[in-house]
Parts: sequence; C-alpha cells; structure tokens
Amino acid sequence: MEQILLHINGEDREVSVNPSWTLLYVLREVMDLTGTKCGCNTGDCGACKVIIDSRAVQSCLIRAVNAVGKNIETIEGLSDGYHLHPIQQAFVDCGAVQCGYCTPGMIMAAKALLDANPHPSEEEIRLAIKDNFCRCSGYVEIVRAIQYAARLLEEEKSERL
Amino acid sequence: MSAYKYLGKKIPVIDAAQKVTGQTRYTDDLKLSGMLYAKVLFSPHPHARIVAIDTREAEALPGVRAVATYRNTSQVLYNSTTRFLLQDPLILTERIFDQTVRFVGDRVAAVAADSLEIAGKAIRLIKVEYELLPYYLDGEEAVQEGAYPIHPQGNLALEVVQNAGDVDKAFAEADYIFEDRYTTPPVHQAALETHTAIADFGATGKLTVISSTQNTFGQRIVLSKIFQLPMSKVRVIAPPLGGAFGGKIEAIVEPVAAALAILCHKPVKLTYNRKESMISTRTRHGSVTYLKTGVMKDGTIIAQDFKVITNTGAYAASASNVIKAMSNKVFGSYKIPNMRFIGRPVYTNLPIAGAMRGYGSPQAYFAQQCQMQKIAKALNIDPVKVQMKNLIDPDGVDPRNQKPIGNPRPKDCLRRALELKKNWPPLDDENGEYLIGEGLAIGMHGNSAYGAHTDQTSIIIKVHDDGSCILYTGTHEMGQAALTLQKQMVCEVLDLPWEMVDVVAADTDTCPWALGDFSSRGTFIGGYAAKEAAEKVKARILAEAALLMKEDQGQLVLENAAVRSWQSGRSVSLPQVMDHAQNVTHQEIMVTHTYPTPGGPGSYGAHIVRVRVERQSGVAEVTDYIAVQDLGTVVNRFSCEGQVEGAIQMGMGYALYESLNFDERGKCTNSNFRKYKIVNATQMPRIQMDFIEEYEPTGPFGAKSLSECALVPSAPAIINAVSNAIHQEIHDLPYRPAGGR
Repeated sequence: MEQILLHINGEDREVSVNPSWTLLYVLREVMDLTGTKCGCNTGDCGACKVIIDSRAVQSCLIRAVNAVGKNIETIEGLSDGYHLHPIQQAFVDCGAVQCGYCTPGMIMAAKALLDANPHPSEEEIRLAIKDNFCRCSGYVEIVRAIQYAARLLEEEKSERL
Repeated sequence: MSAYKYLGKKIPVIDAAQKVTGQTRYTDDLKLSGMLYAKVLFSPHPHARIVAIDTREAEALPGVRAVATYRNTSQVLYNSTTRFLLQDPLILTERIFDQTVRFVGDRVAAVAADSLEIAGKAIRLIKVEYELLPYYLDGEEAVQEGAYPIHPQGNLALEVVQNAGDVDKAFAEADYIFEDRYTTPPVHQAALETHTAIADFGATGKLTVISSTQNTFGQRIVLSKIFQLPMSKVRVIAPPLGGAFGGKIEAIVEPVAAALAILCHKPVKLTYNRKESMISTRTRHGSVTYLKTGVMKDGTIIAQDFKVITNTGAYAASASNVIKAMSNKVFGSYKIPNMRFIGRPVYTNLPIAGAMRGYGSPQAYFAQQCQMQKIAKALNIDPVKVQMKNLIDPDGVDPRNQKPIGNPRPKDCLRRALELKKNWPPLDDENGEYLIGEGLAIGMHGNSAYGAHTDQTSIIIKVHDDGSCILYTGTHEMGQAALTLQKQMVCEVLDLPWEMVDVVAADTDTCPWALGDFSSRGTFIGGYAAKEAAEKVKARILAEAALLMKEDQGQLVLENAAVRSWQSGRSVSLPQVMDHAQNVTHQEIMVTHTYPTPGGPGSYGAHIVRVRVERQSGVAEVTDYIAVQDLGTVVNRFSCEGQVEGAIQMGMGYALYESLNFDERGKCTNSNFRKYKIVNATQMPRIQMDFIEEYEPTGPFGAKSLSECALVPSAPAIINAVSNAIHQEIHDLPYRPAGGR
C-alpha cells in the first residue's frame, strides 16, 4: 500500500492505495465518492468519466497513483449538491435524465467540452460524448441539454461582468 | 389548452436532481458495515458434470469467509422468473449451484471475502474436475431425434400452438404463397449498471436483499422458496436501477449473494462486472422463424403461419413466458382471418435467454415485417398500400376469438408517419457513393400481462397532518419514469402541488404487492392503480371536510390543496381537514387500493426509415427516422420522447450491430463494450416523432403503453430500408455489410 495525496474537487485528500488500483476504484471504494459510476471497467462506456487537468477521462483507465499532483474534478465537485451547476440544471430541465447511470459521466464530459469550447456545434457535442453510452435514450435530450447548458453558462458569465 | 396541470406535460423524473449530482445511491453505491465481497466461479465448459470440487485451498486463504457450491447450498429447484407463489405453471430447472453446468458462464461456486481482491484470488484456488457432456449451441440441432438431453425432460422446453380460422384451407385458396426463414441472434439488454445485489442475514433469521431488480416481489417468492423462509423473513428492496430493459426481472445474483450471507451471517455484496453481466445473466432469445403467408393478387393477406424456434439457452427461466407472449402478439396487428402460430423454445448450451424489451415481439415482427415488404415488392404494390389493406381498424378484433383489442390505431400512425416524411430533406450524393433506401414497419405490443394471468397493482397513499402525501408503490424506478407517472396521477387527482407528494417504492416490507415492472404495465396498470387510489383519498378528504364544514359532501371540491364548498363559498385548508380527522373523528387517512385490469389492449407504432449504404463497403447508416406511436394519451412528454428515442437507439443496434457471438465451444467472443457495440451519439439519425392520442377507454386518462412497443418496428423498418437500398432480401439480424460477410 502507498500513501498518496490526491487533489480532488479543490481539496487535498490523503489516501492509502494499492498501486494497481484504478482511480475509479479509489474514488468509489476508498473515498466513498460514488457519484462516479462503473459501467464496464474497460474504458468503453464513459460512465466513469472525471475531469483531470481539464480533460474528461475514463477513471477506470488510470491508476490512482498516476493522478497524484493533478487537478481532479468529479460529479460531487460540480455543486454543493443543492444548488445545481448550470449543466446539471440543464440536464434536469431538458429531460435528459432517465435511469441516470450515465448522467455523471455525461455531465463531466459536457463540462470538459464547455470549459474548453463555450459554443460548441451539435457535431462537436456529439463527438465529445461519443464514448459515453446511454442505453435509455437516443441522446437527443442529452445533446439538447448540453446546448442549453452552454446558453446558461453564457448568461451566468454576462451576469457576472 | 389542456385542463390538466400535470398530464401531458414535460416532467423530469422525480429523482433527476439527485441523479445529476451523483447523490442517487444505486445498489453498488451502498456499503453495509461488515460487508463482504463476493466473486463467482463460472464454468469454462458448455456442458459438464462436476466430478470433484476441492475448495480447501480457497477456504484456507486469509480473509475468505465462505465458499458456496452445490454441496453446501440449497438444492431447491426453482424458476428465476416466478411471479406467483402457487399459480405459476413454470418449468423448474434452476438451482443456485448445480452439479451439472450447462453453459460457458454457468455458476460453479462463489466466495465471500473481506475484499474483492481476496474473493477473486480464492476463486482461482478452487479445483474442479469435470466430465464433459455433449452440447448444442443451435436450437434446431438440440431438438433433433436422439439429441443428448440438457434437462431430464428433453430439449424441447414446451410447444405453444395458437390458431385462428383454417390456415391450410386458406393457403389452398391463396393466389401466392411466400415462404421464408428469418433468424435473430441473442442480444444483451446492456443496462449501463450491471447486475448487483447485497444480501444480509442476521440473528433474527431475516434475509434482506437490496438489489438492482425490476421485480422485488418475484424475487421474494424465489428467495423464500429456495431458503424455505416465510415471506415475513424475506425482504427485497430495489434502489433506483441503472437501466434494466427486462434483464433484471429474474433472480440471478440475488440467490447467490443470499446463500453466501446465510453461510457466514454477514452482509455480502455481489456485483457482476460487464463481462459476467453479458454472459451470465439473461439475453433476448435468439430465434429462427419459418413464415408462410398466403396473399391474394390485390395484396390481401388471407393466411399466415408462424413456426418459431426460440433458443432459450441453458435453463427454462422465461422460456414459456416469452413464447406465450409472442404467440399472442402476432394476432394483434392485421385483419388476417386465418393464422397459426407454433412456438417451440429449445434448451441449448448457450447463456440463458430471458426478457428483453419487446418480449417476443421483436423476433416475430422482424420476420413478418420484412416479408411484408417482400410481398409488396413481388406484387408490385406500394408497401404502404399492402399495410393499409391489411392493418387492423380501431374496431378490430383478435381473429382467434373475435374479441376487441382496445382502440388500435396503426393506420393513423402510418398516415401520420407519411405526412412527416414530407419533411425529409433531399439527400445529396454527388459522387454516387451511396445507395439510398427507405423502409417501413409496423409494430404492436400489449398492455400488461392480462390474458396470461391476473394483472394488478396495489397502491397505498397516506395523507400527513398538512395534507401532503406519501405514495407507497411496488413499482421500480429504472429510468422508465413509472414513479414519476404515478406521482403525476396522484397530483392531478388531488390537485396538489408537486412537492406535496413523495414516493416510497420497491420494498416488499413497506410497499403493497405489485407484479413487477415488465409486460408494459407501468402506465397502464400502475398508472390506473395510482389514479384510483388518489380518487379514494379524495373521497375520504371530502367526507372528512363535510363533517368539519357541516355541509353536504356533494357540494365540496378539492382544489389547490384546499376544500371549497360550491354552496356556501366557504373553504377549509387541508391541515384543518387533517386536524379534524386526527382530533375529532380519530381516523388515519390512508388508502390501500388494488386495481386489476379488466383487459389488455394493444399499442401500435409505425416507423419509416431512410438509410444510405456505402456502395464500396456495404456499411449502412440510418439518416432519417420517423416514429409515430399509438399510446392513447401522452402522460409525460419527456418520458414518452425519451422512450421512443431510446427504442430507436436499441432498434438500430438490433438491426445493424448487436449480436452475442460464440465460438464452437459456446464461449462468448464479444462480452465487452469494445466488441459489443452500442449505438453512440454520433450514429443517431435525424428523428421526427409524433403520437396518436385517441384515448384508450381502459387506460388511466386514456393512456396505454409505449416503450416496449416503440422498439418492435425499429429493426425491421431499418432492415427494410437497407434491403430497399441494396436490392437484396435480408433474412438475418444483424445486417452484415457485404465487405464483412
């Protein structure tokens, strides 16, 4: 076991890990951050996406020890859990949530996209969530929610100015 | 303008805010103190008898708390999809662990340990000696004479025959006969959340199972039978499910987790990984359909004969339920007076087939709708005309018994779909790289399990001191928005603000009995039960208010969370009414209501699809999709749209990509999401959708089922479009481009 320091959602957290453990395992099983989901553990479904240094990545593909010194964002860090982040609000308001299991990964993929590209085209949105599977929907409301989130974020920004 | 406050509106699922924040606790997100982790050892052989099993080394590994095999667990034979304690005429073939294993992926043993790593290590230390037995992967081979029996009663699980009119006589009178063979592969439900359960067994002798199941009450029967426990000592709770689509009806991981928990008297979690979930749970039945159809020159179909073999895999499970459902559903769409259906589910040494969205309809309608297009082409009649000539009318009947099937509107669906087709943009293909094709298909699905057995749901509504309510329901939240719909019914009837009703669901100890979430019964039965329960609550509140106000109950109305009198114009608040109930009449306002449906109408859909097929590779891409569904009434526009879009996604997979493949020894060769491709966001077509809202008299506010029905026409519509583009008949799912053949 190894003691490591992970910078997650703006906080430093010291955890004891086996070097072979994935970040997904450490998030869910060691740190009780169960908002990040496991759908395949092979990097194919996107349910476990988190943001590491501004990029959305599958947390099942990276070992926790390799995430040391990086800025990690998970679904739990997006809001205080009561006041929703604009992307979360957009997913609710657009009916983009069905069973909800893909939702955290989908929202993290959307956040990484909108952080880098505040006005994505529909095609860019679809590409950003290409490896986020949703079995309930046809991705229609999810794409719409991300478009709507872009508008909400824009409004929020102009209100702040 | 609709007079409704909640009905027909766009309402997010009731737990959407929890889901977007990651706060929803699905089963695998839960930890109980002292909880152990389980791992299962699966059979590497398609069919073998265990001659010797040595678990000593596994048991000796530090951290291992229990090792379960056929030798130390209940050997009660069960059927994992049991619905009733006594009434089920099901075939019993399953045990938690059996001395004989019948497919690659069948359970051999399970370990509970302090960590998943230890459990995984221990599994590898179990030594098993097998005697290999003959095996069959193909259903038609498995029922050949002299085949080695996979179960003592032979490899034909059962035979179902349904008949209308005189098929053979009609064939003799037909101008043309068409005979074709169609096949569909086993596919996986592929809910994003895999199968998972936590079982706890303590000193009180009570077994509690928390599980990702869409059938808590069914699980309770199976667990109570296996472990010989009274139902008071078995509690099954389903947290929200991360998708199910039929794959989580049956008792799969639950008995294993329970057996381990009982062995070591500690809570045990068993979560299958993706591979285990794809191989060792349930699939949609693979099928072979021989379809013979007799047609007159003008396109009138006078006779149709289905002979279907479903490959039900290694155990009976849903074998009989699915084939019986299929046998009924083929009679629901057309005015064909002479029809016959012979269905034969067959055991093979493949993974167990069970329920999946459509429940028998996708296989049968794939065959029928593809042949329908072939018939139109052969007769040189527009496929739309052939459909319109033969489709059932709103006053149509089941040809077997001349009984009505509700208010069937497939013709309206087709007409509306054709209107929407006018919006299609022209497809540019400047270089002539693509072949363009259009296809059409009709689909039908039932409402509830009515006909097979009684179908009912019970609901409890309890009113609090302030007039707010809790709705107790055996319905499960799995993305289909059934709890949201029941809450809509209650808020609509009681005219309460949305936040004044909350829901407790899917817990066998606290909720009233419900059949489970399958058979397209969520809206039709669950919705009706909630509506009527709320109406009873309303009557109770008005009666109480009448005493309080000393007015005639008939003059009182419940609106905006208050009771008002037409006569006097006076009104009282709900807290005042409830205070009167508590302190004057000393009554709890709590209603239990059971709603058994008096019938099971059909739901219908018409889908029209345009594809382009790359000439070089043969690869097909769905560019435009039209789906029109006959659902009686739209209750929640968000969930209706989401369900139809999801059906298109799943139907595209069924048509073009999905198939569980096996090598010659029955080992699955694509048991992961890299090889088993689910349709992604970049592959979806332009979608136009509409609903025919023609009010079903036996549905709540006129509503009937949608989401299974919407899947049924999807694959054949796509296949018909591809076939139309490449000018070749396609008889086998999924479509394989010429380059890949």
